Amino acid sequence: MWLSILGLILGISLGLLTDVQIPSEYANYLSIAVLASLDTLFGGIRAHLQQMYDDKVFVSGFFFNIALAAGLAFLGVHLGVDLYLAAIFAFGVRLFQNIAVIRRILLAKWSNKKDIEEAAR
Amino acid sequence: MSLRPNKSGKISKSIIFSLVFLVLGYILAYSYNLSKSQSELESFTGSTLFEEEERLRQELIEQQERNKSLREELMEKQASVQQFEQSFSEGENHSAELAEKTEALRRYLGAVPVEGEGLEVTLRDGEYKPDSENPNDYIVHESHVFQVINELYISGAQAISINGQRIHKNSHIVCTGPVITVDGVQYSAPFIIVAIGRPDVLKSSMELTGGVLDQLVNDNIIVTMNEEQAVSMPALLSES
Repeated sequence: MWLSILGLILGISLGLLTDVQIPSEYANYLSIAVLASLDTLFGGIRAHLQQMYDDKVFVSGFFFNIALAAGLAFLGVHLGVDLYLAAIFAFGVRLFQNIAVIRRILLAKWSNKKDIEEAAR
Repeated sequence: MSLRPNKSGKISKSIIFSLVFLVLGYILAYSYNLSKSQSELESFTGSTLFEEEERLRQELIEQQERNKSLREELMEKQASVQQFEQSFSEGENHSAELAEKTEALRRYLGAVPVEGEGLEVTLRDGEYKPDSENPNDYIVHESHVFQVINELYISGAQAISINGQRIHKNSHIVCTGPVITVDGVQYSAPFIIVAIGRPDVLKSSMELTGGVLDQLVNDNIIVTMNEEQAVSMPALLSES
């Protein structure tokens, strides 16, 4: 737990310290990578709450999604098709779904706990 | 979790997690940084250019003021050198001669302000003539200024200035369109050429039959000459 928080802090500081300027057309790839990583993270949280979490799926999905999204955007730029829109759409929808599922599960847990407490009283 | 992980599995799992979070944090922070720098780039608009211009202008003004104060300092130094020379001339006869000679030469070079009797020649553009197609026929050209200056020098002028600017041996007078540039400063008509020397000699040499005055009048230029009892000229270094 502590190690992962350390990793997060280290990553953020590394990212803030990096002073490399990339051309603006490649900034699209980065935004898609951000979206993909966020999506995988929320997917992992949802899976954990649904008791079907798997390390391998999570880690491989994290890196593979980032690479796939960036690759798709790269291909789209070279083909002249805005394929990054597809990635943004897919990841955006999944992100909202995941967050909705997480909210429902948490709500259900909370009301369940309340019911049990009521029953015990 | 259905399987209870053992200790080594737990450690490797947290290492994997930290790696994942490292990548996540890096991507987030990097894209944040990038978008921030891009928005900074976009905000670089005319106002900053204006500020830059203002700053440069301020710098120029400071530089000019500094030039002015340095010039004043130089004048002071020269005056003190002159005083030294005068005290020399009082002390020694031989060096007195030399000092007088340098003084005279300096007057010719234009290093010191001079005054004395002289002649003032004013050149004006001729009247506008509707029937003449070429305006070159009635405006003052730099060649006219040359003629006047050369005639004045030949007839013994010791110092000459155009519109208050001293002429020295390296002066350049260039025709730049409708105006004339004297040592980098632009002047338009009328040109007031002041010469220090004997006014009667200067005037009569200007008025020779077939001389400069006749030629200028031939070129439709309005020439006025004034004999002055006391004209003064600045030293060469003073600004315009």
